[in-house]
Amino acid sequence: MSWQGELHKVLSATYKNWIISKRNAFTLFELVFWPFIGLLSIGLLTRFLELGDDMVAFVLVGAIALSILQISQIDVAYILLFDLWSKSIKQTFVAPVRGYHLVLGAMLFGVIRGVAVFIVLAAASSHLFGFDFLAGGVATVIVFLAGTFLTAASIGMVVCISILLFGQRADVAAWTLSGIMMLVSGVYYPVSILPGPLQILSKSIPLTYLLEYYRSAYGYGDHQILLGIALALLYFMASLLILNLAIERARRTGMMLRLSE
Amino acid sequence: MPALRAEKICKSFKRLFQEKKVLFDISLSIERGEIFGILGPNGAGKTTLMSIFSTLIRPDGGSLEVLGRDALRDTHAIRERINISSGNPNFPWSLTVRENLRHSAMLYGLSGRSLHRSVEEAISAFELGPQSDAKFETLSTGQKQRVSLAKSILNRPQILFLDEPTSGLDPEMAMKTRDLIKKIYQEEEITVVLTTHYMPEAEELCDRIAFLREGRLVALGTPGELKRALQIGHRIFVEYDGEVDPLKLRIIPGVMEVKELSGRVEMVFDHSGRAVSSIIKAFEGADILDIGIEEPDLEDVFLELAR
Repeated sequence: MSWQGELHKVLSATYKNWIISKRNAFTLFELVFWPFIGLLSIGLLTRFLELGDDMVAFVLVGAIALSILQISQIDVAYILLFDLWSKSIKQTFVAPVRGYHLVLGAMLFGVIRGVAVFIVLAAASSHLFGFDFLAGGVATVIVFLAGTFLTAASIGMVVCISILLFGQRADVAAWTLSGIMMLVSGVYYPVSILPGPLQILSKSIPLTYLLEYYRSAYGYGDHQILLGIALALLYFMASLLILNLAIERARRTGMMLRLSE
Repeated sequence: MPALRAEKICKSFKRLFQEKKVLFDISLSIERGEIFGILGPNGAGKTTLMSIFSTLIRPDGGSLEVLGRDALRDTHAIRERINISSGNPNFPWSLTVRENLRHSAMLYGLSGRSLHRSVEEAISAFELGPQSDAKFETLSTGQKQRVSLAKSILNRPQILFLDEPTSGLDPEMAMKTRDLIKKIYQEEEITVVLTTHYMPEAEELCDRIAFLREGRLVALGTPGELKRALQIGHRIFVEYDGEVDPLKLRIIPGVMEVKELSGRVEMVFDHSGRAVSSIIKAFEGADILDIGIEEPDLEDVFLELAR
């Protein structure tokens, strides 16, 4: 297979997500409305609580990160979710595509949408709440976004793995996993206030380190971004490996057929 | 080298704590360039076997070779060279026909002009032009079936698996679809493996047929071989008045079965053409009131095997 062929296999998932998204009015809500409403609510809360600029930055970084994470992870989860809802999973898996083709293609679309959400939210928070999203420089933003996209892709793959292992009802994982992330990675508060066991759990989540990294530009102490990126990469590779194993298992158990019925 | 060779393929599905065995030691070989039918009643295991042959699912045991490659190991390389059209097909609902075909072509690694050409040829071959910009969810059952068939030829497969290709189609569209299958088969010189419930379709299209019943291969051969093996010959009945020596009937060349009723004899012959004159001779001395010939078809084979 030529490199153009390989590229088109990757782009097949991008193409499908793009077409479905552009036909779906809900996409506009996903991209603009809900992230903006979330940011506005949190921003107004900081006004009500009369928080200082550094605290406002702390909270808004969390709100922006959560929105990017949610939109990018759902795009990767859509690899199976769209097929699951239209009962067309076997059309994809009878074709000569591997897990990485689908993940990279969907991730590409997730990155595009995630960057769009970041631009919207950064501009809105700058205009409405005076938040300087470039305080740490462009490189900080790029590293932060790259880590967030890797983490989101891993969450999206976990959703796909859950569906392949447990069937259609596991699609609820698509919306619950980012909620768990929000709780334990310190999106709106420092992880130091979490109970002991949850603090340990938070140390295993890359988003914790990514948030610490971005917030360090606003005077919130040290960060361990290398560990965060290494964890994000590790989870990404492990999720990809497990996704391939889950696909093979679904072929053995017949789940691949049941998901198309 | 055969297009496909299966040895002792078996498969079971587990649900909760129950295990249901759906295929038992299926062994068969499909030659290149033939149209091979897999027939059997509901629940016989046809779709499961087709899914295994097309590498969508894996068997529990046995070996499978497709286009000379080990289908349990070289699955990716095999998928490049085969394709499948499923019965009651589904595609992403909000994509149009052209977008769905384009997406499928990309899954097969087609790009640039070859992608565009394949999609447009498939649309044209299955007369989907008027629906090409319609969303999949708005199509009729027959149109969806044609989208699935169009998708199955995008990568110019060497083996085409067709699972119930005319299921849900009206008679005219079913006939057109069979003609299209024959046309693709002749033009592309490919191997076609199909499942169907519709016996005249199998008889019209298939060079050889495998019959499955409750997950087991119960017969394999050409339609003619199956009829002979099951002694499902031409039925000839004669209504008469007078006396006939039954022995004379039993020694007629080609007779397989003779049933005597009062004033009526029913016989089964391996071929009716040679028998009629001998029958008339055997009835010398009696008046033949009526004589009729019923040609056997695969429906008879199916009913015999599905018992």
